[in-house]
Amino acid sequence: MNPINLAKIKPRPGSQAFFRWRQIDDDVVLITNLEGNWLLLSRDEFTSFARGEVEPGSELHTRLDDKNFLRATYDIQAASERVKARKHFVHNGPLLHVMVVTLRCNETCVYCHASRANMDAVETDMSAETARKAVDIALASTNGFVTIEFQGGEPLVNFPIVKEIIEYATERNKEIGKRLEFTMVSNFALLDEDKLEYLLANKVQMCTSIDGPEELHNAQRKLPQTHNAFQAAAKWIKRVNEAYGEMGLETNLYHVEALLTTTKATLDKWKEVVDTYVGLGCKTIFLRPVDPFGFAERARLRLEYPRSKYLEFYRNAVDYMIELNREGVEILERYAAIFLTKILRGEDPNFLDNRNPAGAGIGQIAYSYDGNVYTCDEGRMLAATQDDTFLLGTVDDGYRKLVGHETVRAMTIATNLDQQPDCVNCAYQPYCGTNAAYNYKAQGSIFGRMRDNNVCAVHKGIQDYLFEKLAAAKDDPELLEIFERWTTIRPRDHFVQDPNAETAAGEGTVETVDASEEPAEA
Amino acid sequence: MTELRFHRELYSGEAIDEAVKTWSNFAEFSLSETPEHWVVEVTPKHEAAARQIIGEFGNYVLGLTVDRGGAEAS
Amino acid sequence: MSTDNQTSFSDIPEAVASVSATDRSVSINLDAEVYPLQAVYGAAYIFLDRCFVFIDRPAEGSYRVTLSAKQAVEESEALRALVGEFANELLSCAWRHQITQDNRVAIETVTVQAIAGAMGEPSLDDLADFDFTDEALDDPLGIAQSWEEKHGRKSPGEDKAEGDAATSEEASA
Repeated sequence: MNPINLAKIKPRPGSQAFFRWRQIDDDVVLITNLEGNWLLLSRDEFTSFARGEVEPGSELHTRLDDKNFLRATYDIQAASERVKARKHFVHNGPLLHVMVVTLRCNETCVYCHASRANMDAVETDMSAETARKAVDIALASTNGFVTIEFQGGEPLVNFPIVKEIIEYATERNKEIGKRLEFTMVSNFALLDEDKLEYLLANKVQMCTSIDGPEELHNAQRKLPQTHNAFQAAAKWIKRVNEAYGEMGLETNLYHVEALLTTTKATLDKWKEVVDTYVGLGCKTIFLRPVDPFGFAERARLRLEYPRSKYLEFYRNAVDYMIELNREGVEILERYAAIFLTKILRGEDPNFLDNRNPAGAGIGQIAYSYDGNVYTCDEGRMLAATQDDTFLLGTVDDGYRKLVGHETVRAMTIATNLDQQPDCVNCAYQPYCGTNAAYNYKAQGSIFGRMRDNNVCAVHKGIQDYLFEKLAAAKDDPELLEIFERWTTIRPRDHFVQDPNAETAAGEGTVETVDASEEPAEA
Repeated sequence: MTELRFHRELYSGEAIDEAVKTWSNFAEFSLSETPEHWVVEVTPKHEAAARQIIGEFGNYVLGLTVDRGGAEAS
Repeated sequence: MSTDNQTSFSDIPEAVASVSATDRSVSINLDAEVYPLQAVYGAAYIFLDRCFVFIDRPAEGSYRVTLSAKQAVEESEALRALVGEFANELLSCAWRHQITQDNRVAIETVTVQAIAGAMGEPSLDDLADFDFTDEALDDPLGIAQSWEEKHGRKSPGEDKAEGDAATSEEASA
């Protein structure tokens, strides 16, 4: 890229409202302002803007004015409305409550960061008492929306507690009235028809992991009894999707989603990964890089890769997905969708790991099987390595005491990009976020150092790619349509628990009898 | 015996006192002061681990000082 | 830490960083005008897990930070890397110190709203436990100050008292 030379441009401040800039290509410069409006300018346009030589009445002047980049006509009201929209989540407390119902797991994944335990380690199962206390805390959240996410280990291993949580939460929610949802992240290998019936009846959103084509998936996720991990997951993805269809749900909207963890072995297989997901009926791929927690750290030398390699993989994969979209295949990339929602819609999709400030403690809480409560799931994983930095207390502590903990305050400050070197000057600041637990693990402090931070490198790389595409979309309206489709969030109301409905009983549920319904004596 | 000189503007005297108590199982300490420094003479009880004891003690003092927000105002 | 047998790195001025050949530690000299003490603490703290860290004040206006790697490092490359990493962390801390001061109000506003939004209103039990004798929060915008305190004008009570005193002085003159 032929870099912009500011010394040659000789910028003259005075006419511009506050802005940041970043060169995207030889003749493409991105400018963003305080409230996250953006424009892509040519070199010449950027030069005129920087020098304060934009002709009033010109097309460039109109574009700059419309997007609030001119000091003389800066619309403070409009700016503050947009900032408010981007920060809407700040007033609401934890939405996501991650409940680690067991550490036991039937698979051994090379990059696992859940600190798994063997199948006989029953002491790592969450008890009913702990589960109920965790639910009480979750339902005490100031957020009107509460999502309880079952994690592990493998949550299906402790299915009785999954049921306990669902039934207790649903019962309590009758008087509390949250918009309550349940989700489960599972490898599916332990699913059977009875469990599926219960989960479907109780509207639990199912999510699994697919690492790519069968050979790669099985090499990275070993089932000890020589079962085929990929086949197990694929079978149940198909079965759950069929079941949604049988229930009369729109299958374009209701289907199992899968997560990818990108390891070194994945990097060359971008096409196979996308084809595998499409073949399984998935509409979303989340191209997550491997992170430094848990097993992944120990296997780091084998799995890790420079972030430039990841970004190359990312670009190839998403380019391919865009081509599939042009052919009518419905598939989107989740990271891109999150950023594009912020860029194109001026909204924040409230993805807790990419938010400013981030969601640790204020947007999510993690409840460990032993009753310990953490700011986030990464904090819980760190505790498994004898580092209690992100421990807030236990399920015996009250909600306000947990969320009011000084660690939550510290993380809220540390993930505020207005205090972050690099971010204060970065054009992507309105759309970005950092992860305090990652910074602490990888760089020694919750603040981190963005210039050599892998999460920052990934975020910058993805946004560079997206803005390159948005520049190209000027001559390719279909591309813009595809991106806009990716940002459209259609609510999946089926998964919202009706506070007035009875819990759908599965096997082994104890029914309570209402004495008033006892038949009168003859 | 190793002499450590902690500058008063950089290290907290209270942090040193607390650190000496905590590390008393691993070393003998003798404290004195000059106008500019807190002076700590450290004699590790385990010769093989002497470098580690002295170094970790110094780190401990620094850590406690930072936790307190810095050295006390003079 | 010994200052005998000092050597240097080829690409860093000796006045800034030097290596002690006897105990394989590096000393970094810092201009206190450029790096506030809070930044030095911040950077030093992050190295406590892998180095023995010592800070000194060789002269007014400067600090000296000595890093001795906990794991024995013989190669000067490894020591050079320590200096480089420390310098980067120090720069980051120093810059953050400035940015935080410049943007303090914005940061505090968002933090207060986020924590208040998450905690919600206190219950009666929470209020019963609250220590109202505790010191009030910082007031960087002077919101809790009366107009008179802020602008040095006397309050009506003080005005009247002074007026009365002046009248009685005149009367007695």
